Amino acid sequence: MSTGQAIFRDVPDPPAPKRPSLGSRIVKSRTDYLYVAPAILVMLVVIAYPIYYTIELSFFNTPASLALSQKQFNGLDNYVTILTSSIFWKVTWQTIIWTVLSTAIAFLLGLGAALALNREFAGRALLRGLLLIPWVVSAVAASYVWKWLYHSDFGAIGALMVQLGVTDQPINFLDNTSTSLYSLIVVNVWKEFSFAMIMLMAGLQTVPDTLLRAAQVDGASPWQRFWHVTWPHLSSVSTVTILLLVVQNFNSFIIPFIMTGGGPVGSTQIWITHIYELAFLRQRWGVGAAYAVLLFIIMMTLGYFYVRALTRGDDQRAGA
Amino acid sequence: MSSITEYRSGGMGWRWAGRIFLVFLLGFTIMPMAWMLITSLKTGFAAMQYPPQWWPTEPTLDNYWRLLDPSGSVGQDFLRYFWNSMWVSVVTTLLAVAVAVPAAYAFSRFRFPGRTFLFFAVLLRNMFPAVVFLVPLFILMRVLGLVNTHGSLILTYLTFGLPLAIWLLKGFYDNIPIQLEQAARIDGATRFQAFFLIVMPLSTPGIIATSIYSFIGAWNEYIYAYTFLTRHDQMTLPVGIQRFFSENATDWPGLMAATFLMSIPVVVLFLVLQRYFVRALTEGAVKH
Repeated sequence: MSTGQAIFRDVPDPPAPKRPSLGSRIVKSRTDYLYVAPAILVMLVVIAYPIYYTIELSFFNTPASLALSQKQFNGLDNYVTILTSSIFWKVTWQTIIWTVLSTAIAFLLGLGAALALNREFAGRALLRGLLLIPWVVSAVAASYVWKWLYHSDFGAIGALMVQLGVTDQPINFLDNTSTSLYSLIVVNVWKEFSFAMIMLMAGLQTVPDTLLRAAQVDGASPWQRFWHVTWPHLSSVSTVTILLLVVQNFNSFIIPFIMTGGGPVGSTQIWITHIYELAFLRQRWGVGAAYAVLLFIIMMTLGYFYVRALTRGDDQRAGA
Repeated sequence: MSSITEYRSGGMGWRWAGRIFLVFLLGFTIMPMAWMLITSLKTGFAAMQYPPQWWPTEPTLDNYWRLLDPSGSVGQDFLRYFWNSMWVSVVTTLLAVAVAVPAAYAFSRFRFPGRTFLFFAVLLRNMFPAVVFLVPLFILMRVLGLVNTHGSLILTYLTFGLPLAIWLLKGFYDNIPIQLEQAARIDGATRFQAFFLIVMPLSTPGIIATSIYSFIGAWNEYIYAYTFLTRHDQMTLPVGIQRFFSENATDWPGLMAATFLMSIPVVVLFLVLQRYFVRALTEGAVKH
């Protein structure tokens, strides 16, 4: 975190010339820990234990009944099973398509909306509120509504496309392996583009008006003003937004689970739904746990970049 | 004379492009919700027609009466799920705020060893999907004797909501000048007095925002509720409506009415308190 901030203590003392030892610093700030203790305690119980448990389970063969006393150590077998199975690569590829497309489209729509809303006009707050509703309603509700919109016989989208002459017959969006994944991506984008919008709207407020005005006076075109003045100011908030979207999309569950259950023929199976299926529908606890550990590793890598993006923003502020 | 904010948006052409884009985006956003509402006003027969009735020929509120009628079996179940959701979400929210306020304050004000590590450990929690925690948490709940109780959901939602609650609140505390507390301390207030009399009132918008966020998160949660609760009378809305309507052939108008009623509390809460919510969310990513 930033080093430039003022340090507030009970007694405002001048900066000590010599850094006291860790032990004495811990003792000195022992009351500080009381404030964070309840939060840390809850976290430890509900987070540290599950992580430890998942890692352990991934090295064992556990019976379907989840009788932990009968589990058998099997080394890296679960990992080998995953990496050599043909479905692993299929699911991974679908996860990549899902994550990359959802993130890219949601970000671009959000950026467009933020730029278009970056002006005072009547009804701006109302419009922003309406655009944010999909982000607030539950993914369960969204999934049911879109499932109904996509319905193969009575769906509004299929009927509308026929009436507009786009297709001769209603398209079977969800029961077709070539359209199912993309149909779900549309739902996902609908649900989350306004998150990108709201982040970028806040980012746009940090662009100094004086710079934009100066650029205009110097004859810069709107595109040049965006590319050379606005965009550089958005880079840090964009990084954070994109990383959060990637994490969120990689961890998606409800939309594919409710709308297609991973089908048809596994065409909408992504990592998380696959893990769920392995563990809860097929009781292959060890393989499911090994998947989860691989996921931990991916997420920690992303988390590293997330923290770096955040602290970079902090340093910039401290240096500014 | 050009408009005052023209340097922001470009010329007329760009402004029109922006307007057209917003209209398109609004249509994309609104249409599914409009169709949900229109379908909920139809009879089951009217909904199952091709081509669809774009506006119901005989609009009816029957689906809503059925869901809200406490004497019918459908209404009984629905109202129970609604009540369960409300109870779990409100308790989660109160606890999350109670635990997050001191933690966020400490992360904002104190420099104790391990602070940075703990803070990022808290943040990283957000990066893990719910599914990964299902099995171990289920076992943990079994050990704690909380399976099939709302306590299991509240404890789980609490840990889910806490990282974000702490992060949001810390952003607010960071923006409250330390000098205010220092002045109060010099005037003889204890640290707790300074906190309750100076900092708490100033951070009310942050507490409101954190509360909305916790509430919406708990209200919408699905996976844990789906796994931890097997008893019918304990279920929350997202799980309840699903069980309820897929047992027989799907009653789409009824389902749409149920999703509409389920969305009302969060949408109303959000629209009324939008400015707090939006400000808090972006506070962490962007400093003004």
